[in-house]
Amino acid sequence: MFTTRVAYLFLLPALLLYGAFVLVPVGQVVAFSFFAWDNGVATGFAGLDNFVRLAGDDVFWAALGHNVIWVVLTLVFPLTAGLVLAAILAERSARTIRWLGAIYFIPRTIPLVVAGIIWGWIYNPIFGLLNYALEAVGLGGLAGAWLADQDSALISLNVVGAWTFFGFCVVIYLAAIQSIDPSLYEAADIDGAKWRHKFRHITVPLLRGTTLFLGLYASIEAMRFFDLVWVTTQGGPGYATEVLTTHVYKTFFLVGDFGYAAALSVVLLAIVLTISALAFSLLRAR
Amino acid sequence: MNRRPRIVQSAILAVFAVYALAPIYLVVLASMRSEADLFSGPLALPWPLDPTNFLRVWIEGGFSGFFVNSLIISSSVTVIILLTAPLAGFAFAKIRFAWREPLFALFLAGMVVPAPSVIVALYGNLQAFGLIDRQIGVILPQAAILMPFSVFMMRTVMQDIPDELIEASVMDGANPFLSFLAVAVPIARPGLMSLALIVFLFSWQEYLLPLVVLQTDALKPLTVGAANLQGRYGIDYGGIAAAGLIAFAPLVVLFLFMQRSFVRGLSAGAVK
Amino acid sequence: MRHRLSIAAAIATAVAAGGAAHAETVITQWDQFAQSGITAAGPAMDELIATCKPALGGATVLRTIAPSIGIRESYRLAVSAGKTPDLAYTWPAASVLAGYARIGALAPLDAYYAQYGWPQVNEFYKGRNSYGGEIFAVPMEQDLMGVYYNRDLFNEKGLAVPTTYEEFLALAETLKDEGIVPVSFGNRDRWPATNTFSLILGLTAGLEAEQDVFFGDTPWTNPAFRAAAENFQDWAERGLFPRGFNGIGYDEANALFLSGRAAMTITGTWVLQDMIRGAEFDLGVFMLPPMADGVPSGTMWGEGSQWQLSATASDDVKDAAAAYLDCLLSDASREVWVTKGHTVTIGTTPEELSAWGADPVVQEFFGAGLATAGTNFYDLHTTLPESVTQVLYPELQRLVGGDATADEFLEAMQAAWQAAIDNGERWIP
Repeated sequence: MFTTRVAYLFLLPALLLYGAFVLVPVGQVVAFSFFAWDNGVATGFAGLDNFVRLAGDDVFWAALGHNVIWVVLTLVFPLTAGLVLAAILAERSARTIRWLGAIYFIPRTIPLVVAGIIWGWIYNPIFGLLNYALEAVGLGGLAGAWLADQDSALISLNVVGAWTFFGFCVVIYLAAIQSIDPSLYEAADIDGAKWRHKFRHITVPLLRGTTLFLGLYASIEAMRFFDLVWVTTQGGPGYATEVLTTHVYKTFFLVGDFGYAAALSVVLLAIVLTISALAFSLLRAR
Repeated sequence: MNRRPRIVQSAILAVFAVYALAPIYLVVLASMRSEADLFSGPLALPWPLDPTNFLRVWIEGGFSGFFVNSLIISSSVTVIILLTAPLAGFAFAKIRFAWREPLFALFLAGMVVPAPSVIVALYGNLQAFGLIDRQIGVILPQAAILMPFSVFMMRTVMQDIPDELIEASVMDGANPFLSFLAVAVPIARPGLMSLALIVFLFSWQEYLLPLVVLQTDALKPLTVGAANLQGRYGIDYGGIAAAGLIAFAPLVVLFLFMQRSFVRGLSAGAVK
Repeated sequence: MRHRLSIAAAIATAVAAGGAAHAETVITQWDQFAQSGITAAGPAMDELIATCKPALGGATVLRTIAPSIGIRESYRLAVSAGKTPDLAYTWPAASVLAGYARIGALAPLDAYYAQYGWPQVNEFYKGRNSYGGEIFAVPMEQDLMGVYYNRDLFNEKGLAVPTTYEEFLALAETLKDEGIVPVSFGNRDRWPATNTFSLILGLTAGLEAEQDVFFGDTPWTNPAFRAAAENFQDWAERGLFPRGFNGIGYDEANALFLSGRAAMTITGTWVLQDMIRGAEFDLGVFMLPPMADGVPSGTMWGEGSQWQLSATASDDVKDAAAAYLDCLLSDASREVWVTKGHTVTIGTTPEELSAWGADPVVQEFFGAGLATAGTNFYDLHTTLPESVTQVLYPELQRLVGGDATADEFLEAMQAAWQAAIDNGERWIP
C-alpha cells in the first residue's frame, strides 16, 4: 500500500525532534560520565572513576532508598485506594461516577509545583493550616513539624504525591471495570456472593493487567519525580527526602561536577529502563 | 445488597472526595482573604470577598505575563505534536517497513527517560544553538520529551482505522499524504482531541525545563513564576494562593469540560 | 524583554554616535539588582550606568538581571558553554571565585588595581578575592551579621541587651517562660543555618582557630569547632528557636520576628531595609557576645557579592569595564548606593552613613559591626568550596535538628573538606 520511503517520510519530523532533544543528549550524558569535570569544563578522561564513586556515596544510596520507599508507598496507598474506589463507584449511577471521577481526578490536573506550594503551606509548622486545624479541634498534641521532621518528611511528602495520583488510578480502573463482562457479576449475585467476595474473586483478578500498567507507571514516576521535592524540602531536612533527581540536580547545577552528575543520570536511566523492560515482558507474557 | 456495606462504601467515597477537594478549597479561601484577615481564622469563610490578592499578583506580580507565556509555550508544544506525532503513529500502525519494530522500541524507551537525567547535556546543546533564555528553547525539547507518549498513543488510535478505507483512497490515486489527511485524520479526530488536551496539560505542568532554560522573568511560565513567589513575597499566603489558583484553574476548567476526551487519552494503552 | 530593549538602545546609540570609535564596544553585564520592590537596588544601578557613561568612553552596558537565588547556577552554565558575561556581579566570593579563576574563566585585575587604586578594598578583601597570587574580583557590598531585637518587647518585659553569653542564655530563658519565641529562625531554605553557624563558630572558636582549619592543616574535628557545633545544637535543644524551624522559610522567620511573636532574629545586613520597613515596633540591633573564654568580640564579616571580569572579554571591553567599575565605586557613587540602592558598600564609614542621612538602625548596625574590624571572622558561605557547602547544608539541618551529634557533624564536614582539598578546590588567599 505504502512504501518504506513513505513510512520514513512520515516518521522523519517526529524522529528528528526526538533524536535531537532526547536521544542525542542521552548519548552525550553517557559520554560525559566517562570524563572528569571542573566547574563545567572537561579536564580529562576518567574511565569508570565516576561510577566507582557511586559505591561510597552515602547520599546516592540514601536517595535510591527513598525512591524505592516511594515506589512501595505509591503501590500500597494510591493504587489500592484507586482500585477500591473504582470498584465501589462502578456500581453507582452514571451521574455519581461522572462527578466523583472528576473530583478525584482534579488534583492530577494541578502542576506538581503548585501542589507542592499548597501542601508546603498546609504542613508549615507555625503558619500551617494542618497544625492550626488540629489545635482548633483540641488535638494540638498531634501537631507536628511534618516536612521539617526527619522521621515524617518522606511520608508527609508522599501524601501529596498520592493526592495527585489516586484519582488517576480511579479513572483508569473504572474504565477497565466497565469493560468486564457484566454477566460475571450477575452470576455471582444469583449465587448470593458478598461484595468483598466479588471484589476479590472477579474484579481484582480481571484487572491484573491494569494493575501491572499502573504499577509500572507509578514506579517510573517514583524514580523520576523532582518538582514536588524541589519546591518543598530540596531533599531535606538533612537527607530525609533526597531522591535521585535532586541529587543529580545538586551535583550538576550547584556543585558543577558534570561527570558525576552524568554518572548518576546514567544509573537513573538504567534503573528506569530495566523496570520498564521487566514490566513490558510481563505484560507481553499475558 | 444490604444497607450497611453501602453506607460504609459511601463514607469511603466521601472521605476521598474531601481529601481531593479540601486543599483546593483552602486555597480558594486564602486567595480571597485580605492579608490582615488571614491568620484570624484560616478555616472560616472570608467575608467580604477580597479580589485584591488576584489583582496584586496579576498586575504587580507579573502573572498576566506568566499566564500568556504558559499559553504560548503549551499551545506551541501542542501544535508541534499534532503536526508530527499522528504521521508517525500512522506509519507505525498502518505501514510495513524495514526496522519498524526496532524504531518503535526506540520511541517506547523514550517514554520513561527522566527529564533531569538529560538536562545535563541538553542545557549545553541549547546554549550552543543560542536557544537559552528563549521560549523556543523550552518548546522544542518539551515537544521532544512528550513525543514518545504521543506517538505511542497515536499508533493505538490509528490501528482502529479500517484498512479498506485507506486502500480505497490509495486506489483512487491519492498520494500518501493526502490519503492520510482525507481518511485517517477525520476518523482519528477524537483521538487527536485527546492527544491535544493531554499534551497541553503536561506542557502546562512542566517546571524543570523552563526553570533552567529561561532566565528573563518576562519569558517564564506560571509554574516557575509561582515557585519564585515563595521567596519573593515572604509570607503573603493570600498572594501565593491567588497565584496558585491562576496557575491551575485553567487546567481544572479545561478538564471538567473535556473530561471524556481526557479520560480516553489517559487510558489509551492502559486498558488493553 | 529588557534584553531586547537594551539591544535596541545599543543600536540606537551606535547610530546616533555616527560610528564613533568605541560605538561597537558592548559590555554584557549580569547583576542581581532587582528592578521592583521597595528596597530594590535596580533603579540605582540604572542611574549609575547613566552617571558613569563618560567613564565608559563610548562603550555601552548591556544589562541582564539574574535573580540572586539563581545566578550561581546560571553563571556556572554560561561559563561551561563558553558564554561567560563580560562583567558579572555574583556571589559568593572566595572559594567559588577561586573555582573559576582555577579554570581560567576570569581575567586577573592586578593591573587595574594598580591603575585605579581602589583603596577601600583592604588586604582582607584583596585576599578574599585572590587566587594563586592574583586578584580576580572587586568586592562591593559590605555584609555583617548581628542580632535584630524588638526593643519595645525588651522594655515591656524589663530586659536588657546581653553583654555576655551567659546573659544571652538567661535572656532567652526568660523570654521562653513568657511564651515568646526567643530567636526566630527558619532553615527550610537550607542556607540560613550556615550564616547562624558562621557567627557561632567565630564567637566560639575565634578568627585564628578558623584560619588554622581553613588555610592550615587542622581538621574540622578539633575541640574549638566541636564546642561551636555543640553550642548551635544546644540552642535548638534549649528551645531558643520556633517549632519545626527546619520547615520554616527564611522570609517566614523574619515575618515571625516582625509580627512580635519572636523577640530576636539573627541574620545579616542584607535584610536591614526590609526589617526597618516591616517593623511596627522600635527595632534595635546588637552584636552577639563572645561564646567562649578568651575569644574577642567580633561578627561575621562578608562581602555580599563581587564584580568579576571574563577572561574571554576583549581588551577594549576589559579597559572600559574597569573604568566603569572605578566610577561605580567612587565616593559619589557610594552615596547613591547607600541612599538610593539601600546597599552599604565596603569602605563606607559610620561617619559617612550619618552624613548621608542613613536610617539610625543602619548606622547602629554598621557602627557596631565595623568597630571590631580586626577580629571579625569568616562567612562559611564564601569560604568553603561549593562541594563542601552542599554537604554543610544538610549536615547543619541534621545537627540543629538533633539528628546528628556534634562529632558526626564534624566528621562529615572533615570528609567533604578533605575530598575538596584532594580535588584542588580549596581556596587560600
